[in-house]
Amino acid sequence: MANLSVNLCGVTFKNPVIAASGTYGFEREFNELYDIGKIGGVSTKGLTNEPRLGNPVPRIAESRGVILNAVGLQNPGVEHFIQHDLEWLKSTGTVVIANVAGKTLEDYEKICARLNGLVDMIELNISCPNVKSGGMAFGIKPETVEEVTRVAKKGAKDTPLIVKLSPNVESIAENAKAAERGGADAVSLINTLTGMAIDIERRKPIIANNTGGVSGAGVKPIAVRMTYEAAQAVKIPVIGMGGITCAEDAIEFLMAGATAVQVGTANFTDPYAMPKIIDGLNAWCDKHNVANVSELTGVLQLNQR
Amino acid sequence: MKDYIGTIVKNEKIADNIHAVTFALNEDCKVRCGQFGNIAVGGTHLLRRPIAICKAEGREVTFCYQIKGEGTQKLRDMKAGEQCNVLMPLGNGFYVEEHEKKVALVGGGVGVFPLISVLREYAATKEIAAYIGYRNKGAVCGVEEFVKAQKFIAVTDDGSYGAQMNAVQAFAADLEKGNRPDVVLSCGPTPMLRALKSLIEKENIPCYVSLEERMGCGIGACLVCVCDMTDGKRARVCKDGPVFNAKDVTL
Ligand SMILES: Cc1cc2nc3c(=O)[nH]c(=O)nc-3n(C[C@H](O)[C@H](O)[C@H](O)COP(=O)(O)OP(=O)(O)OC[C@H]3O[C@@H](n4cnc5c(N)ncnc54)[C@H](O)[C@@H]3O)c2cc1C
Ligand SMILES: Cc1cc2nc3c(=O)[nH]c(=O)nc-3n(C[C@H](O)[C@H](O)[C@H](O)COP(=O)(O)O)c2cc1C
Ligand code: FES
Repeated sequence: MANLSVNLCGVTFKNPVIAASGTYGFEREFNELYDIGKIGGVSTKGLTNEPRLGNPVPRIAESRGVILNAVGLQNPGVEHFIQHDLEWLKSTGTVVIANVAGKTLEDYEKICARLNGLVDMIELNISCPNVKSGGMAFGIKPETVEEVTRVAKKGAKDTPLIVKLSPNVESIAENAKAAERGGADAVSLINTLTGMAIDIERRKPIIANNTGGVSGAGVKPIAVRMTYEAAQAVKIPVIGMGGITCAEDAIEFLMAGATAVQVGTANFTDPYAMPKIIDGLNAWCDKHNVANVSELTGVLQLNQR
Repeated sequence: MKDYIGTIVKNEKIADNIHAVTFALNEDCKVRCGQFGNIAVGGTHLLRRPIAICKAEGREVTFCYQIKGEGTQKLRDMKAGEQCNVLMPLGNGFYVEEHEKKVALVGGGVGVFPLISVLREYAATKEIAAYIGYRNKGAVCGVEEFVKAQKFIAVTDDGSYGAQMNAVQAFAADLEKGNRPDVVLSCGPTPMLRALKSLIEKENIPCYVSLEERMGCGIGACLVCVCDMTDGKRARVCKDGPVFNAKDVTL
């Protein structure tokens, strides 16, 4: 039995496997399949100050090896979450990360202040490609990444703040550095890549929103490369994600510099993906004489060219 | 709900472009009519395919599916002995209240398959009339099940089997003759459901419809599969449905 626990900004996770925002709901559904207390942590569906209805349907499409989604941040609002889900979620024993989004700087400060001290960590979604007001505008340029992070941190005074980076940018390293300068306690990446899938019979995009965020197995090499670049650029911890399907995928991200990983789309393909990844990590570490999974973080050595 | 391992017992064509696959599950599963399974077709297909559970007998479950795209083609090509993961039973299913004695089933297209499950569950205790619409003669299937209803009226779009009309028109014609059910259960293409809803509203008969929507998780977690409710809210087809009271949903 390897020691799978990791420490992120002073928060202890039983294992480095976290449910990615938007794919795991508010967790009750998956708890019908297995005890979600086994999972290192969960990042909630993106929360906003007010409830949101999200985009029209269809909201999802498939392309070989990936999916596209445009849910558009449908959520019951932060107050509903605090009243109906938070206590229960905490009682499961998993680390609770509130994923938050907003339209304006004030929105980000307000929602972070509301959740400050109530959850274990806050993850700032400044990279949702599916709504104009999903914070994507803040997530593109380093200057605005820094600004929104600084404002959000004013709200999240006592709760570690993770800034979730968009891959749809010029330089992931520059944006990671900007988040660090703004006071982020960690960065997570990648959010979805903007894409389109067309129904050729109808000559229209399949998704009502026209474009959607691409995720799933096929995006993994891009996500690993970006995780590596971000980890090289900052001193704060990095949480890697994008296409993780099995323990070996998760290990790639750890080696590239991630302290923990998130799993999203794989939960749709196999609802037991996360418990299987955790068991697989344990088996891999045992087989390779790795006593602590945290030893794997950043061990990657580039080929000499 | 569980992710069962289903071993294919048989997988064969039952009508033009429609196949039926029967799985032997690795464990017992209790199913109610109108529920569905989310079938993993594997490979580069990351999403599962939601298909209504047509029959469930002990550990054997049968799904009838239309060949549409790559996923259902892949399923069609699978042979007896091959395995699929099937997450089931999902959704709420159809319920008929104690006092509702006369049940009308109105179905069209792939919507006929969940109605077969209703018939199997309630044939012994309710008086069932089935109004079923097919595209043409070649698409006709499930007749061996529907004949178990007290009344079975099959119609086609082109008149090649039964009268030339759709299922809602067949139901409306019977209604006009004074054959009024206590409840209507329906599944089929949205335009059909829309026509049924407006008819039913005039007649004031309770009506439940089973909806289809593209899905992510299939279990209520991702908010991908929503439909619009008349109260302005949105509900999840996979978890709050797929069966809704027709008056609660905007079609
Ligand atoms: C609750 C429910 C019950 C259903 N029951 C049946 C049934 O008994 N028999 C039957 O033939 N069909 C049924 N369908 C429709 C069936 O899910 C689709 O025809 C099937 O998923 C198409 O897959 P594909 O790979 O062939 O098509 P593709 O177009 O290649 O599929 C691409 C993606 O879109 C999704 N998709 C495409 N069309 C639909 C659709 N109409 N509804 C939902 N998702 C769709 C697929 O699941 C897949 O994720 C049901 C749908 C729902 C939601
Ligand atoms: C259906 C769906 C909904 C999502 N919703 C959110 C969200 O609300 N907030 C967010 O930060 N990321 C959201 N994401 C992005 C994921 O959290 C994750 O960054 C991305 O899917 C890449 O990981 P994966 O390939 O493992 O899915 C969503 C992804 C999917 C597929
Ligand atoms: S498919 Fe995920 S909520 Fe319905």
